[in-house]
Amino acid sequence: MNNTNKKARISLIISRILAYGFVIFLCFMCLFCFLLLILMASKSNSQMQGAFNFRWGGHFMENLHNAWNDFSINIPVGMVNSFIVAMTSAILTTYFSALTAYGVHVYNFKLKNFIFTFIMAIMMIPSQVSAVGFIQLAYKFGLTNKLWLLIIPSIAAPVVFFYMKQYLESVLPLEMVEAARIDGSNEFRIFNEIVLPIMKPAVAVQMIFSFVSSWNNFFMPALLLTKEKYKTVPIMIANLRSADYSKFDQGKVFMFILLAILPVMIVYTVLSKSIIKGVTSGSVKG
Amino acid sequence: MAKGNEKKHRKSVSYAKWAYIFITPFFITYILFTLIPQFLTVYNSFFENYRNGLEQVGPNFVGLRNYIQLLTPDKNGTIDFLRYLGNSLAMWIAGAVPQFLIALLLAVLFTSSRLNLKGQGLAKTIIYMPNLIMASAFSMLVFSLFSNVGPVNKFLIDAGILKEYYNFFATKISVRTIIACMNFIMWFGNTTIVLMAGIMGIDQSLFESANLDGADSVHVFFDITLPLLLPILSYALITSMIGGIQMFDVPQVISNGKGTPNMTSTTVIMMLNNYLGISKNYGMSGALSVLLFIITGILGMFVYRSLAKQYKD
Amino acid sequence: MSDVKLINIKKVYPFTESRKDQKEAKKTNLQITKEGVVAVQEFNLDIKDKEFIVLVGPSGCGKSTTLRMVAGLEEITSGELLIDGEYMNDVAPKDRDIAMVFQSYALYPHMTVYDNMAYSLKIKHTPKDEIDRKVKEAAEILDITQYLKRKPTALSGGQRQRVAIGRAIVREPKVLLMDEPLSNLDAKLRNQMRAEIIKLRQRINTTFIYVTHDQTEAMTLGDRIVVMKDGFIQQIGTPQEVYDHPRNLFVSGFIGTPQMNYFDAKLIKENGKYAVVSDGYKVVLADDKQERLAAKNVEEQDIILGVRPDHIVLGDKGIKGKVDVSELMGPSCHLHMTVGDKDVIAIVPTEGKAVDYMGKEVTLSFNGSVCHVFSKENEMNLEF
Repeated sequence: MNNTNKKARISLIISRILAYGFVIFLCFMCLFCFLLLILMASKSNSQMQGAFNFRWGGHFMENLHNAWNDFSINIPVGMVNSFIVAMTSAILTTYFSALTAYGVHVYNFKLKNFIFTFIMAIMMIPSQVSAVGFIQLAYKFGLTNKLWLLIIPSIAAPVVFFYMKQYLESVLPLEMVEAARIDGSNEFRIFNEIVLPIMKPAVAVQMIFSFVSSWNNFFMPALLLTKEKYKTVPIMIANLRSADYSKFDQGKVFMFILLAILPVMIVYTVLSKSIIKGVTSGSVKG
Repeated sequence: MAKGNEKKHRKSVSYAKWAYIFITPFFITYILFTLIPQFLTVYNSFFENYRNGLEQVGPNFVGLRNYIQLLTPDKNGTIDFLRYLGNSLAMWIAGAVPQFLIALLLAVLFTSSRLNLKGQGLAKTIIYMPNLIMASAFSMLVFSLFSNVGPVNKFLIDAGILKEYYNFFATKISVRTIIACMNFIMWFGNTTIVLMAGIMGIDQSLFESANLDGADSVHVFFDITLPLLLPILSYALITSMIGGIQMFDVPQVISNGKGTPNMTSTTVIMMLNNYLGISKNYGMSGALSVLLFIITGILGMFVYRSLAKQYKD
Repeated sequence: MSDVKLINIKKVYPFTESRKDQKEAKKTNLQITKEGVVAVQEFNLDIKDKEFIVLVGPSGCGKSTTLRMVAGLEEITSGELLIDGEYMNDVAPKDRDIAMVFQSYALYPHMTVYDNMAYSLKIKHTPKDEIDRKVKEAAEILDITQYLKRKPTALSGGQRQRVAIGRAIVREPKVLLMDEPLSNLDAKLRNQMRAEIIKLRQRINTTFIYVTHDQTEAMTLGDRIVVMKDGFIQQIGTPQEVYDHPRNLFVSGFIGTPQMNYFDAKLIKENGKYAVVSDGYKVVLADDKQERLAAKNVEEQDIILGVRPDHIVLGDKGIKGKVDVSELMGPSCHLHMTVGDKDVIAIVPTEGKAVDYMGKEVTLSFNGSVCHVFSKENEMNLEF
């Protein structure tokens, strides 16, 4: 056999092995924390007092039962609150961002360019800048402990708008809208019956992202929700830390953490493909 | 007859009004829940307005006093705002350096047609996963694992590496390392995917012709991939930096909001959070927000430019 | 059962981003005023009931804009649009009782072919069984019954085109508008669909307005064709009229393929009869042309003489030319020649004999009935 060819083959095989090794190592690192969490959630408090080992503790269901029925941290209520906020925010964000993007994309109107530039600009303003005024107003008007106050603002999401606008540009020919007009549809119906279904992939991706970020949101809810029965999951998890930590049943702590991230993990394993596609297309012009 | 019809149907062929109808909810919400609060934030920054126990102080107009107070050294000669900003940036850099190096390497490996790695879909799924985990829960997990009674200490003692438990949350270096590592784990997958998209957006024939011209993979990377990836790389870097300045969840939970040890893990947003907490110090928090806005605004300009450029092409 | 009247229609696109738009506009020959770019002006046309009108012209001539104004997709800047005598300028498209077939088909990708076709009827709250009957009837006409349950993405270009037409005809519109419906198809399918449209026209009773840039489509489909350029109507007439009596140089060149040939010539008057002289070759014009020129009292002048390639015969007396390229097309042969500084094409029958014209000197002659005389000054046909 040809010598140069042989050399090239060997170097290719070696670089492949190294590449695979590197990738597998990183994947393992990412999974390790998660697997360790599940393992720890299976151990009882007393098991954890003893020496550490990688054996399954066998107290998973017991920990689940204890965590679920804990009287100081009411995780079921937290999950319901979180779910209400995350789900409705996700729906409102995607619907209204798509509607706004459609309005700017399809129609010719005087402020079209101004509005597009404006939204691009406000996209960069960190959310914390409005936080001070928002909190002040919320306290002034007695709107603390109102879940809707966390939901309604999600109607105006510049980043989602930008994504939807880009998506519309790539999938929606104006002729389609005109065809629907001639078919006799009014503008609202065109959006709901023609455009929204065409945007389904983008809507799905943004709903997931919005759901996840809302589910994980900590800063604002922690400042607004003070009553136990309105608290969302991240606040409860942070409360674990502020409570006298060492006195806590460790098995239960790990179970709380597991419960907090589980819904998102489930959604992710089912929909990971479209989520990754969403990250890709959201980052650069698709 | 014609005249009557004219009136009845006036302007129904013009669709501009629908644009306004469709964008109205967005803008009303934006004005009510973001724009007005933003103005209020700026307005507040010129007032003394806080609660001292049960006593409400202000609001009294104080001009720029809040800003001056934020930017003058206290009796120990430190400026808290700059110190916390430094904390944020230090922890961001410590995480971002490996994050970007590894993401860049991974992106190049994944897109290499010579290596043609299998199972990329699964690998991407796994490395992106930490990005979606609730940051506060992840922090709590890490805290529990590394706490004095946690499995890491137990493991290290059992293995004979440590004689007695080591308090990971008592020294500056270990706390910052832990936070930086968490940021790295949470974000390198995201960066990888963004950079991969960037590389795949480069005209493939460029790589092919470079290969035929005799460039090896190192040269291809430095002469073609990196320069053409630069716009996206800088975009990712600056957005990451903005994220770093806004760091909150992880250090807040890890240090229980106290920035232990000795405020070395306190970030700017934690400072904001403290002002907004019990004391409801709208004056100081307003001024802090404005400073934050200016800093991220300058960084954001760069992002906006690169984004606008991409958009126009 | 409807006639369409367009009276002095004008369309101006105002500038939005002042500089950029103006730069773009300057690249075209459209008139630019203070208000913006004038895409269409002085458009007057009476379309009779059930007539098939074709708007034809090069891109940017305003033909699509005109169609879209009839559809109600564009505002009419000034002028009047009447359908069945009713003033329609500001009526929304859905209330105009028109249907339209788009160049890109514009089928709704998430709906089946059936739902695509039924959509307009559904909006009008037509009873379900009536929708069903109408959709199936239209599908029958267009031979797409077997695809009714498919989504548009599972169809070929030709099938999609049929669905797009089907969607338009289920409504039984007063006016059916077609915007370059065949230009996305390949040549073979295009010919086939053209024949289908002719057949379709016989089966449904409606007024057609058809936009195309392809003069063959215009000639074969239209009852009358409207030739447009730079926002102005150049000529309205039956295909035969436009072909035989082009009003100006542009129309003469745009209609007919291969293009008409032009020679520098002189119009002279001898013994009361008009004749053309080019390169020393004199042809006395036919009687009908004599009459028209005489009626207008046209004087002797330098002219552009136009003769269609198929009207040129090779003879002994005439204009001399040298064949550069000879293309054998089967029954005839296309000769590409240079005469003076002009390119000239002649179509000569082969009649079964293989004659090699390449490089040969030939003499081109033609008779007085096929000569078109255009003013050198304003490029108008002097007969009009």
